[in-house]
Amino acid sequence: MKLSNEARRILETSMVINKTSDAERQEVEDVVALMPDDRVFLYKNVVSNPVGDLPRYSIHIRIQHMLTFVTFLTLAFTGLPIAFFEHYWATPLNTMMGGVNVTRVIHRTLASMMIFAMVYHVLTVLLGTLMKIKQGNFELARSIIPTMKDARDFKTDMLYFAGRVMQRPEMDKFMYKQKLHYFAAAFGNIVMVVSGSSFLFPEFWASVLPASIAAHFQEMMRISHPHEALLALLVVAFWHWYNVHLAPGRFPMQWTFLTGKITREHQIEEHFLEYLRCLVEIPKERQLLTVMLEAQNKAELEGSNKSSGG
Amino acid sequence: MYKMTTLSCVLFIILIVTRAPLVLSDEVARGIKPPAVFEDDMGCLLCHKYPKMGRVTEDGERRVYYIMPHVFANTVHRNVPCTDCHSYIKQLPHRKVERGVTCNAICHSIKNPASGKNFSHKPIYDVYKKSSHFRPKRAEGDERDKPYCITCHTNPVYNPDEEALPTEVTDRCMVCHEDRKFVNNWYKHTSRRINKVKRSGKEIVELCSSCHGDEELIQRHVQAAAGGGRELGRKYKIAAKSYKESFHGKVTSYGFTKAASCLDCHANAENYYLSVHDLRPSRDEASPVHENNRLKTCQRCHKYADENYAALDPHPTSDKTENPFRFYAELIYAWVGDTVFVALIALSIFETIGRKRDGVGWRLRDGSSWARRRTKRGRDRVISTENL
Repeated sequence: MKLSNEARRILETSMVINKTSDAERQEVEDVVALMPDDRVFLYKNVVSNPVGDLPRYSIHIRIQHMLTFVTFLTLAFTGLPIAFFEHYWATPLNTMMGGVNVTRVIHRTLASMMIFAMVYHVLTVLLGTLMKIKQGNFELARSIIPTMKDARDFKTDMLYFAGRVMQRPEMDKFMYKQKLHYFAAAFGNIVMVVSGSSFLFPEFWASVLPASIAAHFQEMMRISHPHEALLALLVVAFWHWYNVHLAPGRFPMQWTFLTGKITREHQIEEHFLEYLRCLVEIPKERQLLTVMLEAQNKAELEGSNKSSGG
Repeated sequence: MYKMTTLSCVLFIILIVTRAPLVLSDEVARGIKPPAVFEDDMGCLLCHKYPKMGRVTEDGERRVYYIMPHVFANTVHRNVPCTDCHSYIKQLPHRKVERGVTCNAICHSIKNPASGKNFSHKPIYDVYKKSSHFRPKRAEGDERDKPYCITCHTNPVYNPDEEALPTEVTDRCMVCHEDRKFVNNWYKHTSRRINKVKRSGKEIVELCSSCHGDEELIQRHVQAAAGGGRELGRKYKIAAKSYKESFHGKVTSYGFTKAASCLDCHANAENYYLSVHDLRPSRDEASPVHENNRLKTCQRCHKYADENYAALDPHPTSDKTENPFRFYAELIYAWVGDTVFVALIALSIFETIGRKRDGVGWRLRDGSSWARRRTKRGRDRVISTENL
């Protein structure tokens, strides 16, 4: 396939960063040349392992996801019956969790764990980025930082879903949806920590804030905590779980959060630019893809022979 | 005819003689104790022992005048002769009752063991008289909405703690005090005040809300106050409702006991039991929630509270007129929440339709989610796993 300018730039950068030898360069170019021009045709004709083929998340990220996942749900289940105490489900749910004397301890303990996960994550990302910058292999496009490209990708993707364009955009390791979700979660996390702390240490917040805004701040926090929690729960239940469990091709579950690996077809479909890096970084992937592409060509040839013969 | 009458009489007598013990044993079987008769010097029970004794008043109110001797014998007033409170009754049968019982009467028969004077609730009644809750026993109009003593002092006649007295305690008293009845009564008197004297936070909220959460009552008083040019508390209209929405209220509703209930802030912690009878509006300097006293009241629980802290609203509300800031903040939150929710679901559906059009299947099987052949747009999967 003839790579787009953007894909070509990413591939070149990756080969420079990885100090790819000339022989390997040739291998990469060969396999790229073998790829069909239509990426749809490419991801439809590869073979994927449901539990994942290509590395995506380090063990740190997986632990952080696990911590956030467990603490978030338990925090929601212990907190929501208090915030929405008048609803019919509130009392049974609260009783099931051991009553308010127990849930208040659980809620605060898990809140500390969630804050720990947050700090752990920020440290991982910061130190990882610093190390990459030091080693000279940091790529902004590969990071979670939103760029204008994401807006373009979003537009193209919508056109694809509407049936107006033939291909999805070439997206990087983190697509527009993931970036949006990541920063929404980060923002929500901060809101929950600050508002939660204003419930636990109201005296502290009242004493550090000026008199004119202390009361308004507390009012704002009082409504923010349950609203943000409910919003987060809805986003997780109806969007995140859709994306990783219910979406076609991901059902019944995407294993990435446990194995750290993404399936080949998913990587090519939604993270094509990252897939190009995989071709540079993982020699075995080049061989596997070559085998698959040859099989595809063969099958195509057979198919056309059959049709011409018939 | 003569024979029949004699026979009837005989049968009737037999019936009475045989049934009477049955009735008694039936009562015993049902757990109703045989009447522990209290001092009925005046013979009030001559009439008031009949269960159906009562009337419907001119206002259509049903009044029951039946006294259950075995129940009354267990109430706190069991030793007070009827006429100490019903002092207007001078003869039997008595005349129409005009005044009724008031709680500030002086008992003629019971002495205060500490002072030796005749016992009376008058001291606490006089405190109550100064509070904003005060009303005379026979009040008219809106005054009737205010609580009289018995509104809060419902005097439960059954106290499970008194069912079986702990003999390991009372036997010890018996060593000197000799009289079992005296000892038991004293034990009940003190234990009731130790174990059950204070309502839980949840019960206090329920009690106060029975009036302060009654919308009709609130409206009556708001209108009356507006008509009479009288000032009402800033939170009067929303007192119970907004408390229940506060964090204090929410956890208290779940039976948590360390969060403030109504009386923790509105009554004075020093001399609490007197103070609950002397509740004042927040504009009264004697009120613990008066702006001069508020900080000290907060500091009882929130040790590090300062002036800013005391300005936080313990009765939060999103009512547009009461708190427009909160009203609009909540409105924006609700809009953002709804929009995000709808937009994300719409996006998910849109995405599903779009990808399905190109032939994606729900499950990743045989190495691909795109094994479904023949889509309108072509570009279908050509290889199968066997090819590899």
